[in-house]
Amino acid sequence: MLRDITLGQYYPVDSLVHRLDPRTKILLTVLFIIAVFMAGQLYLYGFILAFLCLAVYLARLPARMIIRSIRPMRILLVFTFVLNLFFGSGETALIRLGPVVIWQEGLLNALHFTLRLIFLVMGSSVLTLTTSPVTLTDGLETLASPLKVIKFPAHEMAMMMTIALRFIPTLVEEADKIMKAQTARGADFESGNLMARARAMVPLLVPLFVSAFRRAGDLAMAMEARCYHGGEGRTRLHVLKIGKRDLIAFLVMAALYLALLLPRWL
Amino acid sequence: MPIVLEKLSHIYQQGGPVATTALEEIDLTIGDGELLALIGHTGSGKSTLAQHLNGLIKPSSGRVLLDGRDINAPGEDTRKLRFKVGLVFQYPEHQLFEETVYKDIAFGPKNMGLSGEEIEARVRAAMDMVGLPFEEIKDRSPFEVSGGQMRRIALAGVLAMRPQVLVLDEPTAGLDPRARELLLSDIQRLHREGTTVVMISHAMDDVARLATRIAVLEKGRLAMEGPPEAVFARYEELTRMGLDVPQGCQLTRALRGIGGPEIPDCYLLESLADALAAFLKGGGGDAA
Repeated sequence: MLRDITLGQYYPVDSLVHRLDPRTKILLTVLFIIAVFMAGQLYLYGFILAFLCLAVYLARLPARMIIRSIRPMRILLVFTFVLNLFFGSGETALIRLGPVVIWQEGLLNALHFTLRLIFLVMGSSVLTLTTSPVTLTDGLETLASPLKVIKFPAHEMAMMMTIALRFIPTLVEEADKIMKAQTARGADFESGNLMARARAMVPLLVPLFVSAFRRAGDLAMAMEARCYHGGEGRTRLHVLKIGKRDLIAFLVMAALYLALLLPRWL
Repeated sequence: MPIVLEKLSHIYQQGGPVATTALEEIDLTIGDGELLALIGHTGSGKSTLAQHLNGLIKPSSGRVLLDGRDINAPGEDTRKLRFKVGLVFQYPEHQLFEETVYKDIAFGPKNMGLSGEEIEARVRAAMDMVGLPFEEIKDRSPFEVSGGQMRRIALAGVLAMRPQVLVLDEPTAGLDPRARELLLSDIQRLHREGTTVVMISHAMDDVARLATRIAVLEKGRLAMEGPPEAVFARYEELTRMGLDVPQGCQLTRALRGIGGPEIPDCYLLESLADALAAFLKGGGGDAA
């Protein structure tokens, strides 16, 4: 019943982008998002698109996966476009239909915001499609570790994320089992109004929480039995290393920035 | 109400990249009043088969007939069917959720739409059947009783629906010996009182003691089927499948292996003891 839920969207192939250090990919994604907001002229999105295409090509991702990533956003995108289009104000009117005026500035704004949103989502999808959740957490942990100076618990945060990710499939399976068991006792999860359905979830959620707590207790005990005591002095099995390809990736990003910034200076 | 499985097959994630065949063309009839034990290695398809019996999962091909009617036919009310065929999952205590023992056991009867009095009568009877003191624990939280009691509360939750067929998936797994004995005698009593029971188990001695018939699954196929003495006589095949045999069988074989007395195959320790006693009384004692 619940088995078809897919979590995360890691696309497991071997590619140049997949092999990049997760920290590189996280930083590049942040830089990419900043770049998207820097583009002041419409034609500059051409460079951004070119960069994105290059990344997708090198990552050996099917184009449809990237396009599909904006699907959950489609309503937001339409809203953004329409609102900016009709409710902007400016000096040059393009179309006048009675009280409705479409201004040139409105159209520009609409295009800017919509394109930015699309690129933002697509850019971050490249990150999540090419980096497994565990690697991603590893990268985040190392990136956040300088914050330990201000008592930010980087290791603990990363460990919590890893554990949460690890247990999602387990809990999905458990939920499926409990759901079946309650169905066998005549529980009905599918019919009735919203209230009835919400109430029908109680026989599912209570055992699920009980089991999550039980598992958490067991896991804590098992970790303690193996002398886990937090991040201090802990070494890693896979040490993250910045290699030549990471430097090249940053150089390509620098080129994108140059292309975006040059028109401002000239 | 007999359950008939006709060429029942089930494939998980059919058509997908990781399609796995869990059941393949199973033909099996579960007659009224039987206590059928379903045995087989982990992953042999026992639980999948059990979940077909009350329509929790639908066959990929083949049919499940209850009283001659296809339970998955369009228009059949599977919810009503589930009250007739009660399924107790593995570790059923993990499905307890109510504030009190009473409310939890009443969940099934309530879903059947019974009246308050009828529900109370059924909860009382179900608790009685599994040896739980009604007045003493009905208002307690099901989470604060012992593990064995939790298991019996969960079992009572299914029994309260008064199913004609009771399907149990490893009912004694993880119980201590005492709780296990209690539960097994409950199951035996239910069977004697006329409930058809299907029991999945790894504990061959329990199977030997309770079952009137045994079905052995291997890799989704029905490998053997018949009364206990016939199935346990195929000692080598069972061992090759990675299954245990009852202690009675092991001991009989061991005795023969060391040139012991010629006694018939016994799968129960009690009958082995009787056979040995008869043999000794018969004056063959000099062999030992």
